[in-house]
Amino acid sequence: MHSKVSVLLAFMLAMVGSQSMAVPTIQHWQLANGAAVYFVPTEGLPLLDVQLVFDAGSARDGEKLGLAALTSVLIDQGAGSLTAQQIAEQLDSVGARMGASSSRDYTSVSFRSLSDQQTLKTAWGVLTKVVNTPSFPAVDFSREKQRTLLSIKQREESPGTLAQLALYQQMYGSHPYANPIQGQYDSVEKLSVDELKAFYKKYYVGSNLTVVLVGGISRQQAELLVDQAVGRLAPGEKATPIAAVDTPLNGAVIQQSYPSQQTHVLYGMPVLKHNDEDYFALYVGNHILGGSGFSSRIVKEIREERGLAYSAYSYFSPMLQKGPFMMGLQTKNESLDEAVKATKQVLTQFVDKGPSEEELIAAKKNISGGFALKLDSNKKLLANVVGIVVSGAPLDYLNTYVQKVNALTAKQIQQAFQRRVSIKNMTLVTVGENKDANN
Amino acid sequence: MRKLSVTVFLLNSLYSLTAFASPELMSNMVHEKVLKNGLKILVKEDRRAPVMVSQVWYKVGASYEYDGITGVSHVLEHMMFQGTKNLEPGEFSKIIAANGGQENAFTGADYTAYFQTMEASRLEVSLRLEAERMQHLNLQQKEYEKELQVVMEERRLRTEDKPQGQTYEYFKAMAYTSSPYRNPIIGWMQDLKDMQLADLAQWYQRWYAPNNATLVVVGDVDATQVFSLAEKHFGAIPAVSFTPIKQRVEVPQLGVRRSIIKQTARLPYLLMGYKVPVLNTTDKETDVYALELLSGILSSGNSARLDSRLVRGQQVATNASAGYDLNARLDSLFLFDGVPADGRSLQELEKAIISEIDNLKKTPVQQQELDRIKAQVIAAAVYQKDSNFYQALQLGMLETVGIGWRKEAEYLDKVKAVTAEQIQAVANNYLIEDHLTVVHMQPQPIDSKREARHAQ
Repeated sequence: MHSKVSVLLAFMLAMVGSQSMAVPTIQHWQLANGAAVYFVPTEGLPLLDVQLVFDAGSARDGEKLGLAALTSVLIDQGAGSLTAQQIAEQLDSVGARMGASSSRDYTSVSFRSLSDQQTLKTAWGVLTKVVNTPSFPAVDFSREKQRTLLSIKQREESPGTLAQLALYQQMYGSHPYANPIQGQYDSVEKLSVDELKAFYKKYYVGSNLTVVLVGGISRQQAELLVDQAVGRLAPGEKATPIAAVDTPLNGAVIQQSYPSQQTHVLYGMPVLKHNDEDYFALYVGNHILGGSGFSSRIVKEIREERGLAYSAYSYFSPMLQKGPFMMGLQTKNESLDEAVKATKQVLTQFVDKGPSEEELIAAKKNISGGFALKLDSNKKLLANVVGIVVSGAPLDYLNTYVQKVNALTAKQIQQAFQRRVSIKNMTLVTVGENKDANN
Repeated sequence: MRKLSVTVFLLNSLYSLTAFASPELMSNMVHEKVLKNGLKILVKEDRRAPVMVSQVWYKVGASYEYDGITGVSHVLEHMMFQGTKNLEPGEFSKIIAANGGQENAFTGADYTAYFQTMEASRLEVSLRLEAERMQHLNLQQKEYEKELQVVMEERRLRTEDKPQGQTYEYFKAMAYTSSPYRNPIIGWMQDLKDMQLADLAQWYQRWYAPNNATLVVVGDVDATQVFSLAEKHFGAIPAVSFTPIKQRVEVPQLGVRRSIIKQTARLPYLLMGYKVPVLNTTDKETDVYALELLSGILSSGNSARLDSRLVRGQQVATNASAGYDLNARLDSLFLFDGVPADGRSLQELEKAIISEIDNLKKTPVQQQELDRIKAQVIAAAVYQKDSNFYQALQLGMLETVGIGWRKEAEYLDKVKAVTAEQIQAVANNYLIEDHLTVVHMQPQPIDSKREARHAQ
């Protein structure tokens, strides 16, 4: 699951900027408590999409693994005098949707509602209470903790999830990114409600918050809504930067035995922070390598030529600190060796020789010709703007994107890959009925 | 489904509240034209962004298949990307990519559909290519052998190695007797192994024709222009004559069906389903809309009864949901699924769900609760307008399963008209034990993990 979120982020950072289409202007202002606000008014549909992004991801867990995630789960399970049931009823009574979730870097509260006054009055009122006065009731705490523990148990029945967890653990070693977002069974079992309250108090603060709004409201409305929902949050302190990631010199090979018909194969290494100067070269290169479905090399080799897997891919996932470059596939146990060799070969050759001119032209055509698709709904617009602002990219990022993509040469892509990616540095994880597991 | 990594079987998704709606506040004009060869074209102009989605829907899917060739519709869907008379294998995708497009396809029980999402001016590229593969598919042994392996890998990923997915497959096979819904959309593994290229060729010959298809275009397009481009590219494709498909009506169920399914897993899992009619099969439409709201009362939004009472109140479930797809072609199932909370059993969870059903039979739902569900349906109708793809999906699906796209416009009013008494009545009439199938998935221990690690 986590990988999907990362893919989305990497993807959204990538999808941008054409000269042929009006790119929305992102309005920006700041609240007295430090919260940064970004707003894109849209027309055509009476709806409002909002995301509150707190610098409060699982990398902030410290020893208490799972703390950030469980805090976000509890955020709408009681607020002020409202019970979990009342919160849900009020939102449902106007068809609004709200949810909170954590990644390694962030905790996000997302909100979608119709944008008429009457609806917003109810729905936004609930959001305001949830953000400002979550009450962490004991009964809800113990229930949600139990549910998280079951969900942690359930990871063990998914070879794909096991592979992800093992890969992050190996790639990041003692860095907080190594840990599962939901935490470990033992660590979650020990969490107390006071720890959640303290985490909320420390991290759900103005100076740690970015608000993005996209929808059919006016600037004046947007300002009022934001003031109401987060204007009274304490300024607090900006979270200290997450520690830098050391890139391991050599990758490891981890083979987990699991009674499944397929073996899940993952390669990974930490590579990219947000706004890295190699980003464009690596993004476009990866588009060709394994990021664009049927036209990419990994899919051609693994699926179209050899029929080894249904899903095969590669992606960069930029994070606050070095996020991973990953390659993945699942294949029947008997084909494991062939699939691993072929994947390795594709990457090695790509890093060695870079893309062909023909491939580069095709990638540029696809990215620039498809630009309009990236911004064709409120939902996608919101995702894009969140991606831009949390990564600290300039607000005109969308305007210059295609230009930057089109300016790239095959040589630059090759060099960027040679600087940043090497099969020797990648950890390989396999989870499946692997006959060689005891080697 | 040909998707690379996202795993969504559209019709197979159990738990979404299907909300096909037309909010009054927005124009909802659909333009229809039928070509001489029978191809139906539906166009909805939506000018919010300079993009469009084009979908071609065929009236064929897993429920058209018979024993021994299950999965053939889906394998054929895969092969539709593997070359035609004028296109090399993979060239279709290459052309779409070069035009900045995104494309894919999906197979359900009642349909097979192909789509491209592109900048609006590229519409003709999409129509030209779809017309090509509607008439000139070139099925080649070499591509087939490889693609069949891909489909088997897809099956392993979705079913063999997913305890809940595998359980659902056995559940369906037990719940249905004579209905083709008993077979998995992706096909049984043995049928995949036995499949021949000739099976695909026959299937393609039989079902891929303009008079068995619907073209749906939604986006920044002009309807008359879509019609003329469609005429240009599809107009000359000959219609074929069809023998009517056999009805294969499900025989009456004469008592509760129960089974235990053992899986290598950590958590137990409960599946329950009652035989129910759908829009396409009923002569009492109000019943179908009442069932739709009944599923909302149980499971739509966090305030709905299963979450409120089973997950939060009694804490007998760690999750529980109800689902009903009123847009199936044939009689279907009103489904429940759930995972017991820690320390609670499948029996306890089943009992709690039955007790919620009994409640609905005895006591009419409160107006406020009913209004809450209707408010969600109304809002969801607006949210869906945010996506051209889903607008097209609604039209294409309704048309393809036989309900007709015009039904979309009625949905909201019909749902709004449902009363508490009607909900109580359908609970009493349809959610009865004799028509119930229950499966308890019992987890079996996973062999303790052995792990080896070494330097690369």
